Amino acid sequence: MAIRLQRRFKESSFWLRLLLHRREAEQALNDEIQFHLDAATEQNLAKGMTQEAARRAARIELGGVEQVKEKIRAARTGASLETFVQDLRFGLRMLRKSPGFTIVAVLILALGIGANTAIFSIINGLMLRNLPVRDPGRLVELLHQYPGEPAFNSFSWDAYQILRDGSHAFSDLIVGPTMNFGPVRVDTLQPHTVFVGSVGGNFFQALGVRAAKGRLIGPEDVRIGYHAPVAVVSWSFWKSRFDLDPGIIGKKIVVGDDAPLTIIGVTQRGFYGLSEQAKQDVWWPVSLGPSQEWGFPLLGRLKPGISIEQARAEMAVLFQRVVNLPDAGPFVKKMKFRIEPAGHGVSTPLRAMLSTPLVVLMGVVGLLLVLACTNLAGLLLARAASRQHEMAVRACLGASRARLVRQTLTESLLLSMMGSVLGIFLAYFGTRGLIRIFASGRQIIGAPVHFDALSKPDWHVLLFTGAIAIMTALLFGAVPAIRACRPTSIQPQEPARAGESRSQRLFGKSLVVSQVALSLMLLTSAALFVGYLSQLRNLDLGFRRDHLLLITLDTAHSDYTAPQYGRLSEQLVARIDAIPGVTSATLSDMSPMQGPGAGASAFEPAHRDSMHNILINNVGPSYFETYGTPLLSGRYFPAEVQDKPLVAILNQAAARDCFGSENPIGKHLTLSHITLTKGEITYEVVGVVADAKYNELQQPAPPTIYRDLVQAGSIGSQLAVRTRIAPDAVAGVVRGIESSVLKTVPIVRITTMNEQIDAAIVPERLVAALSGWFGALGALLAAVGLYGLLAYTVTRRTHEIGVRMALGATRSEVIRMVLHDALWTVCAGMVLGAPLAFWANSMAASLIHGLPAKSPGAILFGGAVMIVLGMVAAYTPARKAMRVDPMVALRYE
Amino acid sequence: MSKPSDLVQGTLDMLLLKILALEPMNGFAVSERLKQVSRDVLQMSDGSLYPALHKLEQEGWITAEWKVSEKGRRAKYYSLTRMGRRQLERETDNWGRLSGAISRVVKLKEA
Repeated sequence: MAIRLQRRFKESSFWLRLLLHRREAEQALNDEIQFHLDAATEQNLAKGMTQEAARRAARIELGGVEQVKEKIRAARTGASLETFVQDLRFGLRMLRKSPGFTIVAVLILALGIGANTAIFSIINGLMLRNLPVRDPGRLVELLHQYPGEPAFNSFSWDAYQILRDGSHAFSDLIVGPTMNFGPVRVDTLQPHTVFVGSVGGNFFQALGVRAAKGRLIGPEDVRIGYHAPVAVVSWSFWKSRFDLDPGIIGKKIVVGDDAPLTIIGVTQRGFYGLSEQAKQDVWWPVSLGPSQEWGFPLLGRLKPGISIEQARAEMAVLFQRVVNLPDAGPFVKKMKFRIEPAGHGVSTPLRAMLSTPLVVLMGVVGLLLVLACTNLAGLLLARAASRQHEMAVRACLGASRARLVRQTLTESLLLSMMGSVLGIFLAYFGTRGLIRIFASGRQIIGAPVHFDALSKPDWHVLLFTGAIAIMTALLFGAVPAIRACRPTSIQPQEPARAGESRSQRLFGKSLVVSQVALSLMLLTSAALFVGYLSQLRNLDLGFRRDHLLLITLDTAHSDYTAPQYGRLSEQLVARIDAIPGVTSATLSDMSPMQGPGAGASAFEPAHRDSMHNILINNVGPSYFETYGTPLLSGRYFPAEVQDKPLVAILNQAAARDCFGSENPIGKHLTLSHITLTKGEITYEVVGVVADAKYNELQQPAPPTIYRDLVQAGSIGSQLAVRTRIAPDAVAGVVRGIESSVLKTVPIVRITTMNEQIDAAIVPERLVAALSGWFGALGALLAAVGLYGLLAYTVTRRTHEIGVRMALGATRSEVIRMVLHDALWTVCAGMVLGAPLAFWANSMAASLIHGLPAKSPGAILFGGAVMIVLGMVAAYTPARKAMRVDPMVALRYE
Repeated sequence: MSKPSDLVQGTLDMLLLKILALEPMNGFAVSERLKQVSRDVLQMSDGSLYPALHKLEQEGWITAEWKVSEKGRRAKYYSLTRMGRRQLERETDNWGRLSGAISRVVKLKEA
């Protein structure tokens, strides 16, 4: 039955196809009638009639060809366009007749569908969209990962050669593109900052990218020790900067401070490199050749028939050879290597940061949608009860069951379509809001990130929304449809009030119970995520996060010499110190919670074999006072360090790593492989400070060595100002002083430490905020559902309540009856929901590192909220029950 | 020529289903068979037969396909579906009860 219904439903909705079929059906009808007439005529001829009489008799017996055809057409209307339009019209009329119901239903659906569409469209934009290259499914990227840091796609010259010569899994091993950005100048136009990259000779060819104009970079442009001074630009760059000028070939283009390149071609329209979040506009040949740097990004194209697992197995062996190279440093030895699919774009920090939270959020909004469906099913159930009379009348007037079911489903579908349209509208704004949160995250300063690609809807998103719209319509529409399907229970002469069986009441109740269970799940996860966020915000970070203003300076292009800069920065700090409300100020290379920084290997000069990884920060005077990191032993850097022995301060973790339980003060420590370069420097340890976090809040503070800014030959681009008043209040003054003292050093960013910390926990903030909102929304829906059920129950039991009161029940007993009903429903929902919430909790904990796997507190919170909401929902119905006048109630019968 | 109302409405469906339960047939053959087996008592106009057949098809109780008839002409052949078979059983049951009840009433002797 259901299948046939669906089939018919489909047929009627594809009315265009149906119109085309109509001519065919008409032809078949003619053929059938003609056959009948011919057969009858033949029979009559056999009886001895003349040809003319035989045909006439056949026609008379049939009773008029056109009339018969019309009757047949009428009999067939079941699947016709007219019926569908009729259903649609009737559905619209019914919805217009009860605007309150329609508005509530459409709003609920719009929120549910909109939330799902918003999250899905970001997932789609970030992780699912295929790259515009040939056969993207076979494209993989090679990654290396240092423990505790994000994965990077870059390899050394030696590693590249080993992988290139040893691999058989790839039809191409592609070099590039590097991910850089910088100001690009053409002719005399204003420079424009875009993403750029250098690529190997087989890059465009292996990706199947064609030239829209000129030629692309090929193997002839890249030889060891030589790369042609040429560049290729994207079609969109050609359009926006050159207005599609055909004379672009041969023009000069300057990237940053590099030598000018000659443009040789434009890529095909739509090609943007390998990441939609960092669309590249200019490419030039990579300079291949022996190099210590890990600077070659590698991509592979799997050979036909080779799976990514096979490639992984083969590469594991080759990666081991990279690690075993004789001059591989301690960093390389700790690296992990991976191969990941790249057909949906290469991994970006944004994707690495957001993919897990988005999956968690998709689960949350999915739950919300199911809850919304259940809620609507309850609403429709109540409506169906009140429409029973109408249905019965229609059934008596000859509407078939199928027709009634179709009618109710059409109405449900109408509702969900209206909800979807509004939902897509809401999703558009929702996505923009989400992207604003993303944009507040850690970014490379000055990088032109393309967030807009995330919110760009495509047919995937529309298909998804359409699918969930139909699914929701079937989910919540099933209830009235099933009821319409049971004409045996329909008695038109009975009024609507009585026509409800025990099983139907139980069904209505179970709908509310499941709403309570679902919203308990939502509330629990919300409590979990919000609790986790506040725990992160209250962590001891090893420095004081409040009242701290951070200023990032662009020191790369100043023309100051180091001594000049040193003098000026001393002046700068002194003048900022003098601002009223400022306690102290300092310069350093890094500020805490800024992100990953420079590292080295550290060892005691006497123990070369035990090397420790260590983070380096070069700091100016009063760094520790300004940030509020306590000195635990020893002393701070001396005032005059120029030309004195090299000194260093360790944090606790580094002291423990390198010296165990011994007192490190006065001992020596050697650094090597400073940011992957060779050369060793030895320092005397003069102090130990508390651990401070630099990268991830959730991870322990890294072992850190602090060097003096002047001794390290560094200038310090992070200015920090500790204030007694709100840090924003001094921002303007600080900016003024900076621009008057350091005239050629622009400020790139002013922020506060709290904002910097918030930028490091964007995913956690996002999940907490959204799950909080959706949890509240879900609880509201469940409360409304419960209210509806209770109000209906009280109305239905008015008579009974009247009898009870007449027999001596007190008002408080009546109230207790209603409250008992509410409590029972909520408790049933909690019993059902608690295991589910536990399960969802452990699911989330397996996805999000650091989330507690079992959090009874969160479930208790969810339960408490549900009970309170249950009581609130019961308030009005209970009052109504209390006010029942026994006389009125009894007279009603 | 009898009017279709001579047939109890609803029993027409049953008769058509019963006839088609025996073998797939085209419309003309159904009409002939109906006259034949009821010894021309249950004559229905061919003009009512075709809408009835199309309605049954619409309900999903019978399906139709184009085949070549014995005389070499293309004709639309109807056959019973599984759902049609079930419907036939139901209607046969109903009919048995109804006709039994009616004949009992008719046979009542005056006291």
